[in-house]
Amino acid sequence: MHSADAQMLVLTVLADRPLHGYAVNTAIEGLTGRRLGPGSLYGALSRLEARGLIEPAGQEADAKERHRTMRITGTGRETLRAELEQMARVSQAGLRALGIEPA
Amino acid sequence: MSAATLITGLYPPAVRQRWGTEISREVAEAGIRCWPDAVAGAARLWLHPSDWPGTLTGQTRRVLAVALFAVAAVTALLLRATQPSTTLTADPGHPATSLWLLPILLGIGLGTPLPVPRRQALAHLTTVSVRTLAAPAAALSAMVLAANSGVVEQPTGFVRVALVGCYWAVLTFTALRLCSLVARVAPAAAMPTTRRLCAALLLIGAGLALATGQSLFAVVWTAPTAGSLAATLALGLLTTATIRAGHDLRPGRTPAASRPR
Repeated sequence: MHSADAQMLVLTVLADRPLHGYAVNTAIEGLTGRRLGPGSLYGALSRLEARGLIEPAGQEADAKERHRTMRITGTGRETLRAELEQMARVSQAGLRALGIEPA
Repeated sequence: MSAATLITGLYPPAVRQRWGTEISREVAEAGIRCWPDAVAGAARLWLHPSDWPGTLTGQTRRVLAVALFAVAAVTALLLRATQPSTTLTADPGHPATSLWLLPILLGIGLGTPLPVPRRQALAHLTTVSVRTLAAPAAALSAMVLAANSGVVEQPTGFVRVALVGCYWAVLTFTALRLCSLVARVAPAAAMPTTRRLCAALLLIGAGLALATGQSLFAVVWTAPTAGSLAATLALGLLTTATIRAGHDLRPGRTPAASRPR
């Protein structure tokens, strides 16, 4: 999977609630029907954290667990909203071109 | 050792510390079909050090300094493997074919951790250096003594294979210990800044690109052998990796939050 697609999926599931890496992949499986490969998932998590779009949630009692549970940041929400709006515009244009009225 | 542990071990240390347990779990559960993605993910992260989580202060720079020496060590072994060569040399007597070495040496100089001028730190550095390099120094000395003793002259068959094997084992062991030395002295030394590491990686990449070009020239214009093709390919891969990693560290390319700590 393309790394940008993996990053979008991770942001989408984290927009709902903070999750740790394994739970992120389980949520993605619920959304798309397939899990991301470990390289795609943890590469996306590292990249998103480096860009300041997600951060450790800091809710768990255990220090290690606290570091692994991630939540979306304000910048992450903005980025996700902009990306989803652009995808929606592309989707609507594509559906119109196929003669299908967008819902 | 399981495949999941081995594959997790391929990831950069900072990523392993943050996600190692979960990567192992995912790899173990998904099985062989996820191995290509997991290995490619590890390679991508090595090429993008600015993406590594800042688990420990200075960890990224320490790991990059060791990686830089590992690249230099592999290059030295490759150069030894391709000798004698007229197109790729490391000899001041042949400056045109040895020019590739200059940016590499400059890069190593820039990326080397510097000793802190304090008595305690210098004593620690000396102790660690002696402990780490004693074994390879002894092995190299024994090899030189054996070669010059005249005990074995014109070896053939199994003895020749064993001697060549010993020779390469000693060189590889020495290279590994040199990388270990950088890792061990790092906590007590002044680590190069990210800017210096970036310049070091780009300089080493430039030197490797020259070496790859010269090696490729030899492959094209002379009768290529499997060994020369493999060495050219290895040099090309090292070139790509160092330039990509150096490019990733360039100031202004990544947001402040993602700069290596």
